[in-house]
Amino acid sequence: MPAAQPPQLDSLFAALADPTRRAIIDRLLARGELSVGEVAARFSISTPAITRHLQVLEAAGLIERRIERQWRFVRVRANALAPMENWLARQRQHWSAALDRMEAVAAAQTPRQRKS
Amino acid sequence: MSDTETTLRIERLIASPPEVLFALWIEPAQLLKWWAPDGYEASVDVLDVRPGGRWRTTMRRPDGGLVATSGVYRIVEPPRRLSFTWAWEGENGARGHETEVLLTFEATPGGTRLVLLQERFESKETCDRHTVGWSSAFHRIEKIAF
Repeated sequence: MPAAQPPQLDSLFAALADPTRRAIIDRLLARGELSVGEVAARFSISTPAITRHLQVLEAAGLIERRIERQWRFVRVRANALAPMENWLARQRQHWSAALDRMEAVAAAQTPRQRKS
Repeated sequence: MSDTETTLRIERLIASPPEVLFALWIEPAQLLKWWAPDGYEASVDVLDVRPGGRWRTTMRRPDGGLVATSGVYRIVEPPRRLSFTWAWEGENGARGHETEVLLTFEATPGGTRLVLLQERFESKETCDRHTVGWSSAFHRIEKIAF
């Protein structure tokens, strides 16, 4: 049943609504920390465009940056996806139980088919 | 590597025809038979079942507290497709995370294949682009049911 909604949930979902940003997160999860150039090299869009995506991800609390000399590195923040995963798990539980009940009501209203 | 998921997908094969199932969602008396968990007392405040129409239900928890869910219908195509926005309402009336639920009822020889998709509700500006997203969501999401 519903709990208090973490305030960051909407910005989290908004940030991840974009396929490129989801792909960036997937890549960072697989590789750990990457330089901005390494992230950009994987996508056929400009580095400034990648930088804008990274800014959205950072604002949503999904990634954090580190600067070392002239390089900028990014990585996924620990537990950054937890609020979204918790929300999805709660909703899955809610609907699974609801559909069980719906199915039982439907069965009572459906004439049994004779099996030949 | 699984993709980062932002969509919930549940699929069920149900031994009842789409017409029976669809009615369970849009008729208040039918909805009340299954909408709330055991021990909860559900009531329908409004089900204005047409695109743009509002819906709102309230559930009284065993401890007496009230939980409401509400939204707006977006697609109403009996008995095949139904979609609506969906959010929990807090005690103070504030709406929680806004999402959209899409139900498809596909007739099968044994009854119905029901697919429920729930994902973040897109604002109007991104909605057109996002209709494409529904179909891709079909392919990338974990299956729950049988």
